[in-house]
Amino acid sequence: MFSVLFVVKKQVSILERIGIILLVSGVAALVSNSVHPNRIPWVQSWSHYVEARAAKQEIKVIPLSVALEKFQSGRSRFIDARSPDRFSDGHIPGALSIPFESFADHFERVGELIDSGRELIVYCQSRDCDDSLMLAAELKSMGAKNLVLYVDGFELWKKHGGEVER
Amino acid sequence: MTRDQKIYRLAYWTACVIIAVVLLAAVHKVVNPAEFALAVYRFHLLPGFLVNIVSLYLQWLELVCAVGLLFVPKYRSAILWIVLMLFALFTGGVVINLLRGSVFSCGCFSISPLAYPMSWLSVARNAALLGLTGLALYSSRKIAD
Repeated sequence: MFSVLFVVKKQVSILERIGIILLVSGVAALVSNSVHPNRIPWVQSWSHYVEARAAKQEIKVIPLSVALEKFQSGRSRFIDARSPDRFSDGHIPGALSIPFESFADHFERVGELIDSGRELIVYCQSRDCDDSLMLAAELKSMGAKNLVLYVDGFELWKKHGGEVER
Repeated sequence: MTRDQKIYRLAYWTACVIIAVVLLAAVHKVVNPAEFALAVYRFHLLPGFLVNIVSLYLQWLELVCAVGLLFVPKYRSAILWIVLMLFALFTGGVVINLLRGSVFSCGCFSISPLAYPMSWLSVARNAALLGLTGLALYSSRKIAD
């Protein structure tokens, strides 16, 4: 009887302690996110995020680490969806400039690219820009199947030491 | 103290220190909460409105557990139970995403954009940590006997 009571008491005390730790963590998170210089909103809509929109359109998305691997392998073709000015300031080596704003002027090149069957990796400036997503959607509607959206953008590529061509 | 108890004590301490060091990786999540929230979002397991709340809470839960494991002996068993649940959840999340074909990092130990994508190696590592936590819990009971 005593041993059963002892075990029950011990389990209750462990549960109490678990509760305290969960509570302390919650308070720490609350305080930290109130004073943090890089604080984030507690609730945020992710549905407008480029990745979420790409998922809805069934366009495959890759991060920087995978884009770098694909660049090293040399088997994929990078497509820069930014403006010509930004492209000439610096771009991923070997990338083709097809600005989304003047997409219609590049129909012929786009057709050739799609027919080549090579994997096409579309990117723009940052995670927030959606030119690459819109360009990828156009390419997909034109029949591109081997299509990927590099979502971290040129900004992070450059920041993390990716090769740059001017 | 018997020889067996000494062995269990050694196993317990070794496991606790390794787990604490692993959990201390939460420091960079605390420093850059937006990147960790993105890593949590990329699991696509939570409704959007919960992503930031869960990511902010998880990073502090990991950190509090790490500090507790190292410096608050009275709370170690309770912390080990929490850590056991955390590792089980993380492992499950990674397995689901691998089956879905995700190419993103799990955000377990690094939230850098250069972090390697999750793989079955991540599952093996998490399973090993799960086993280590189980070992620590088992040893703590044996020491108490």
